[in-house]
Amino acid sequence: MKKKMRQFFRPSNIILSLIMLLIALTMLVPILNLLAKSLSDPQAVSGMKGYQIWPSGLNLINYEIIFNNQVVWTALKNSVFITVVGTGVNILMTTSLAYALTRPNLVGKKAIMIFLIIMMIFEPGIIQEYFVVKDLHLLDSLWSMVLYRSVSVYNVILLMRFFQETPEVLLEAAKIDGAGHMRILFSIFLPLNKVPIMTVGMFYAVYRWNEFFHSSIFLSSRSNTVLQVFLRQFVVEGDTTALSALGSIDLSAISMSALRAATIIVTIVPILVLYPFILKYYTSGVLTGGVKE
Amino acid sequence: MLKRIKKDRVLYLMMLPALLYFVIFHVWPIIEMRLAFYDYRIVGDNIFVGWKHFKTLFSTPAFYKIIKNTLVISFMKIVLFFPFPVAFALALNELRSGPFRKVVQVTSYLPHFLSWVVIAGVWYEFLSPSSGLVMDLVELFGGERKNLLTDKNSILWVLFASSTWRSMGWDSIIYLSAILGINASLYEAARIDGAGRWATIRYIILPALAGPMITVLILNVGFVMSAGYDQILNFSNDAVLSRVDILDTYVYRIGLLQGQYSFATAANLFKGVIGTIMILLTHFTSKKLTGKGAW
Repeated sequence: MKKKMRQFFRPSNIILSLIMLLIALTMLVPILNLLAKSLSDPQAVSGMKGYQIWPSGLNLINYEIIFNNQVVWTALKNSVFITVVGTGVNILMTTSLAYALTRPNLVGKKAIMIFLIIMMIFEPGIIQEYFVVKDLHLLDSLWSMVLYRSVSVYNVILLMRFFQETPEVLLEAAKIDGAGHMRILFSIFLPLNKVPIMTVGMFYAVYRWNEFFHSSIFLSSRSNTVLQVFLRQFVVEGDTTALSALGSIDLSAISMSALRAATIIVTIVPILVLYPFILKYYTSGVLTGGVKE
Repeated sequence: MLKRIKKDRVLYLMMLPALLYFVIFHVWPIIEMRLAFYDYRIVGDNIFVGWKHFKTLFSTPAFYKIIKNTLVISFMKIVLFFPFPVAFALALNELRSGPFRKVVQVTSYLPHFLSWVVIAGVWYEFLSPSSGLVMDLVELFGGERKNLLTDKNSILWVLFASSTWRSMGWDSIIYLSAILGINASLYEAARIDGAGRWATIRYIILPALAGPMITVLILNVGFVMSAGYDQILNFSNDAVLSRVDILDTYVYRIGLLQGQYSFATAANLFKGVIGTIMILLTHFTSKKLTGKGAW
């Protein structure tokens, strides 16, 4: 015990702990500062320092304004729709492709794998992607973003590694019962590979929630915008027209800075809520999958 | 063989949606990139012009500036950034395991999961000349408040700092797991030989990290042509555009915003071809050296 204590108080350990604490604070304080500003009285926000992580004059008015805004509400709904439906499509397509490709003696497997790897390394240009979506008459439709990135080759390869390890013996009984591939996939493979499937599900869901570039190009109208694009217009481009379109609010009584903070917090919350799961599954995926995300 | 194909028809059916997706959203637009060799027409067929757009591209001085920007920013994010996650993993490993270490770990991974839009929002406040934490500190130490985001000389460092802020923690995972994989008997042997903390790092831990370090470095070089447009789109403004305009943002601006579709496609194709060659080269190099490739 004594030795342990001495070790703990060695100057080098204290310095190291302080440095690490500082690094962690650099990541936390700016976010907590925004949280504090979003919960503060709009009049007090401009006087708040960057390190202040407690609200000045606790007030929920900023969130009230945001959630009473039609544009924010629509954007939030659209983001949730694209993330949920899109991730569903992702999981369905990725698991069926990985399943089929890991069946023994599949004719043409090698050709398909080469095709997929070419798809992974050569990305189409953004202009042509725009034209394809236009030709499909999907411009300004949420479905463009649901379908875009339906499958990621990297995730297919990751899943294949797990599916390959599923023992053939387990399938024999089902095959004798006359179960088809669909039933084998859903009743045997999915339950056995819950962790890897959740992992790719998390990869997709986080990607979809955070996507803003293609959404800003494919979804042009305000009724089809998503949260990240709205946030970008509001925070990065400083466009406040969506918010000031509100009739009932006295513009002099609100603080744009606090509203920005509140919008950012709303955008982060789903990630924070899911953070324990995201960490658990991402970590397992990264460690089996190698170096790339 | 036909019999086998027929027997497996359900499997082909299962692959169909995904393969169709690739044909429609990947192959089709890639084929359409032939627009680089045509003049775009709103009505009627495009006119074949051969290498015209590439010739214009290579005689545009701005293009070289953009390539330079791309390479400079990539260099910062690949080479300058490289030691940070390694050092962070080493430091984490030196912390006694317990709640403090766990909290540091979990906090440092968080920024990786935030979009660049959100990070830009956080950093705009963080760097705000009037109320940001950074300028509060600068002032505290006698410096003068200024806006780093609109300063040509500091914007690259803002890009570097924010991307290090975002990735240092998460990218250290690969090294930390390599450290945790070191056989305990090696530490024991080192301790008996009288090795201190630094000697242990130098002779036991760093050699164990050599493999992943080489893989990460080589594979990242494969992405040298993409310097991270999603970050730059959110951190650029008119004042600093000349420093941060990279190939991807250039294609986006010239093509989708200004409507010079053919010319922008030529720039995009140039980037795509060089990028693909780089990825292939680095993949096979890494595979040969460390046994691990990009896929």
